[in-house]
Amino acid sequence: MLDQLGNGLLLGIIISVASVALSLLYGVTRIVNFAHGEIIALGAIATLFFSSPLDYRVLFLEKFSPLGLNFAISCFLAIIICGLFGGLLEVLLFRPLRKNEVGNIAVLVVTIGLSIFVRHLYLLFASGRVQNFPLELQRRQTYLFFDMTPRNFKVLIAGIIVMLIVGLLLTYTRLGKAMRAVRDSEELSSVSGINSDNIILLTWIASSMLAGLAGIFQATINDVRWNMGFLILLLIFAGTVLGGIGTSFGAMVGGLMIGILVQVSVGLPFMEGHVEAKNAVALGIMILILLFRPQGLFGKKERIS
Amino acid sequence: MILKKISLRFIFALFATLFSIYLVFLLNSEGAPRILLNLLTFAGIYGLSAIGLNVHFGWTGLLNFGHASFMGIGAYVTLLLMPHAAGREGVVVTTGLPFIAALTLGIIAAALFGLLLGLPAIRLRGDYLAIVTIAAAEIFRLLVRDLESITGGVYGIINYTENFQKYRPSFIDNFSDNLDFSPSQAWVCLAAWVSILFTILFLKRLSNSPWGRALRAVREDEDAVRAMGKNAVWLKLQSFMLGAGIAGLSGVLLAFNYGSLESTVFIPLLTFYVWAIMILGGVGTITGPIFGSIIFWVIISETDRFAYLLFENANGQQLAGVRFLLVGILIMFLMIFRPSGLLGKKEELLLDVK
Amino acid sequence: MSNNLISVKNLKKSFGGLKAVDVHELLFKKGQLTSIIGPNGAGKTTFFDLISGFQNSDSGKVYLNEKDISNSQPYKIARMGMVRTFQLTKVFDRMTVMENLLFSGSNIDNDSFLNSILKLNSQKLYENNLKDKANEIMNDLNIAHMSNSYARELSGGQKKLLELARAIINEPEILLLDEPLAGVNPKLAEDILSLIKKLSESGITILMVEHNIEAVMKISERIVVLAEGSLIADGEPNEIRTDTNVIEAYLGKDDE
Repeated sequence: MLDQLGNGLLLGIIISVASVALSLLYGVTRIVNFAHGEIIALGAIATLFFSSPLDYRVLFLEKFSPLGLNFAISCFLAIIICGLFGGLLEVLLFRPLRKNEVGNIAVLVVTIGLSIFVRHLYLLFASGRVQNFPLELQRRQTYLFFDMTPRNFKVLIAGIIVMLIVGLLLTYTRLGKAMRAVRDSEELSSVSGINSDNIILLTWIASSMLAGLAGIFQATINDVRWNMGFLILLLIFAGTVLGGIGTSFGAMVGGLMIGILVQVSVGLPFMEGHVEAKNAVALGIMILILLFRPQGLFGKKERIS
Repeated sequence: MILKKISLRFIFALFATLFSIYLVFLLNSEGAPRILLNLLTFAGIYGLSAIGLNVHFGWTGLLNFGHASFMGIGAYVTLLLMPHAAGREGVVVTTGLPFIAALTLGIIAAALFGLLLGLPAIRLRGDYLAIVTIAAAEIFRLLVRDLESITGGVYGIINYTENFQKYRPSFIDNFSDNLDFSPSQAWVCLAAWVSILFTILFLKRLSNSPWGRALRAVREDEDAVRAMGKNAVWLKLQSFMLGAGIAGLSGVLLAFNYGSLESTVFIPLLTFYVWAIMILGGVGTITGPIFGSIIFWVIISETDRFAYLLFENANGQQLAGVRFLLVGILIMFLMIFRPSGLLGKKEELLLDVK
Repeated sequence: MSNNLISVKNLKKSFGGLKAVDVHELLFKKGQLTSIIGPNGAGKTTFFDLISGFQNSDSGKVYLNEKDISNSQPYKIARMGMVRTFQLTKVFDRMTVMENLLFSGSNIDNDSFLNSILKLNSQKLYENNLKDKANEIMNDLNIAHMSNSYARELSGGQKKLLELARAIINEPEILLLDEPLAGVNPKLAEDILSLIKKLSESGITILMVEHNIEAVMKISERIVVLAEGSLIADGEPNEIRTDTNVIEAYLGKDDE
């Protein structure tokens, strides 16, 4: 049980980071970005691309010889790439949509189409194989009251630190305040001198970089797959719903709780032999929450449509 | 009189559909009848499913991204109630209900599943329902895969087609002998298109009724609906159940088309196909999905061919990926530039539900 | 005990620390025509929302015919006979004027899924009667010529008329009118006003939020004044006209 708690904390902190990224974007743009998972995956895949030979059989990318860069540098580059990707999405796709006053539902469906498209691009270019970062295997050690590998422990600590930094930035910096202003009213904030287009662009970049980081974390403790984003997206939604849509703090706590729930549920009696279905438990809980307390733990009570 | 009703849009859609069918003949020098039948069968099944999804999204503005699970519930419940064989051992079940009874219960089960999902989410904002339906579809997929004793898990269910094929009329066998295609698939194809016909007639009847009127009002302004003493949430739930039931029927047909059913059939990708078809055909139109479905399937099956040419070194899974690349692009493109699809009217769209 | 149709007791609602409504007691008698006035932001529409179920109060009670309807769902309250209109007209744009009316007048049995599939003769009969009623009301309001037009094609004033027509085809016991004269030209305002007077005389209890003080003075039997969410005056038009609290609330205090 305690072991699962450790795993749960790990998964939870990753979901937290990813959830905050999603929540940040939603908070400022009111877009539920279903392609968020693909940005997460990009972090992992780009890191893989830079640090080790991608084992694939498709197209002209075969001509690239393995880059074999230092792992840390690869991570860094990957996060930059994610930020760029997010920025491009905003400038090329979502800003025109916003300027043309395309409705929220249409944008949501566009993000779904986008996620399908990008995900299968990954399949094409990175292949359907499960791949791993070029890191040596480690033995588990005891930290506090659970066992995990030193690397995973570092991920856990790193995740916590990132959460704290993001939380502080949001609350106390001018940028954070500006983001919250744009969220509350785009018109009002532009009147008070805040360029909402720039803020939104910055939010996209920040959100994407955070997402990429979450992807790197996830790939570090597990592996790199073409559909890893899609797999984790639902858990992210569950975490965000549990914590309360629209609150970053809620996303953090909710993500953590979902991660723990997922891993701990493996130990439940009826889960014997059905370990893979642990996600189903978390999702079921999410649906129950929507039934009884849709605003989650920390969200504001939403009116009926 | 009839000419007035047939608009330019309709003629264009008809033309596009016929042209794409012609394309199939053009690009396939041999085996065209067989390929065409296969295409029409899938088009019919998915078209029916898209009609159900249209009730959700086009009529009521509900975001359902778990449509595959409604199809799956319909299929599994129906099959399990009839004689079949399931699981790794192929455990045979010889008792069961007659086809029509099992089918009816399957459709009702799908509708009830819709009720179950709708209850928590429909009174909330649109994106919540999207998330709930995706989550539910995932739970469904996992349960189907893991509850092997009930559903046959990854080994699935087989030996059920006879329950339906025994009703196959002899004229089909005569045709198939002459034209070289599978009679059992032809029977499924016919059933699919007849189902579409009945469903369309049913929906038209509903649309012109007080209930249809009430639903349209809900689409316009829920607050005003409530101020008039009507329960907007219940109306939306009913519509959700209706679309779910239609999807259930299409799921059964899909199962009979495949001949065997296991946990990799009703997956999210299926839902996205249906969405693409619905948007292509025209959101909110009753007959739009038909055209969308045929054209969609022609595009999909013919681009498989091009994928082979472009990506020589890709494996099977990656090639299938090209299909979905296209689906993704299609959905995005349509939603951005032509959300009304082939037959839809721009003014009818309600893409602004907050 | 009372011939109080609506009773409001200790009704409170705040938005993030800002008090929107704080009414200790307000009673409405059957058949009365009451106007609710007050400066902007006085909480009038919120008050309407609270008693018609469109918003939940923080505390307090609302009674309709002695029955507690506090925080009940809006459609249930409407079924009990309290129908409201909205500040921003909510006509069904993509439906015709006739359909707008038919929908509003149709009872829930007629609307049911089952009935709509069976299409029995009883439904046909009901619909025909409804159509007659709708035509009658459209004639009364002079919008019969727009019967087959889409509601979005109506002018602002005509939309107000349609919203009114929708509300009365229900034969409600109580009408909550939220700014029925807003943005309407003076001639039309006269017509709407006399219609409201006629409705009141036929026995319907009417609560009306309005900014047009002249109109309010002309037809109201009773005027309730809200300022910053609280009741500051309640009485006949003549009393209200000279009430110092009211004048202060509208014009601001002298020393400001």
